[in-house]
Amino acid sequence: MISNFITMNGYGLYVWLSFSVVFISCAVVYFRTKRTLEKYEQEFLTELQALTIEEKNKALEASKVVQQILATSSKVN
Amino acid sequence: MFKFFSFSNIYPLIQKLIKFINSIFFLILAIGLTFALVLSPPDYLQGDAVRIMYVHVPSAWIGLACFSVITLLSVLNFIFKIKNFFFINKSIAPIGLLFTCLAIITGSLWGQPTWGTWWAWDARLTSMIVLMLFYVIYILTFKLLNKEELIIKVSSIVAIIGSINLPIIKYSVEWWSTLHQPASIKITGSSSIHSEMMLPLMVMLLVFLLYAALIFLMKYKTEIIRIKKKNFKRK
Repeated sequence: MISNFITMNGYGLYVWLSFSVVFISCAVVYFRTKRTLEKYEQEFLTELQALTIEEKNKALEASKVVQQILATSSKVN
Repeated sequence: MFKFFSFSNIYPLIQKLIKFINSIFFLILAIGLTFALVLSPPDYLQGDAVRIMYVHVPSAWIGLACFSVITLLSVLNFIFKIKNFFFINKSIAPIGLLFTCLAIITGSLWGQPTWGTWWAWDARLTSMIVLMLFYVIYILTFKLLNKEELIIKVSSIVAIIGSINLPIIKYSVEWWSTLHQPASIKITGSSSIHSEMMLPLMVMLLVFLLYAALIFLMKYKTEIIRIKKKNFKRK
């Protein structure tokens, strides 16, 4: 039964290759996307920290999104 | 209505959706793979090669759906000038390209045991290659052009021209004599696929949709952070 599952009655090469190509490609894209997101979050935090307290407060007051990014990025890192 | 699409409304939603998809994804993936590789029956003609359908068909559908969304949002952006639609499109395009390429590759792997050839320049296959090229051109506009206004204009034009290819892909198997089989699943009318194969196909479609949504949300979130970061520099 297991050998049937692996060989897929002679179509194993095509079936397993198809599933492998799909899942490996999807995994590569997922990890690359995640790495880019983390890189941008890190750069965002670094730039925010480089601002003076006055500038930082101004940026936080001006944008709700900045507050949200700061909150979620702090959790991630 | 379009105020809903502001970053401040969308950003908290993105975070919640990413968490939700991450929490259910692997469970649904395990169910989908069990159905696709173990529980679903082999086809009476194609044997176990039919299992390739469970990755090929959802890939092709998502590749087409992504370009349809890109076209729709490009048209809306032209009319209503909502910049956010451009950022959504920018995040969708790589997903569409990925799934179009996967549909072509898995289609080729399915073609060898069923048609006896890896590739044929028939209408369906060629129109899918054209779709892939439009995705490549669309993505290249972001990489090669500098001014944002110009990028929005050129990419929208590429999307609208490329959308002409969408009905060609859909109806190619009816308009021309092709190696590719006609549609087995129809939204209107009865489908010619058995429920024992339909269920795994739908579960795998859900898996692929969740994955596509996850990548989209991560890319869109990156895009929002990039814009906000750029605003710091301006100040």
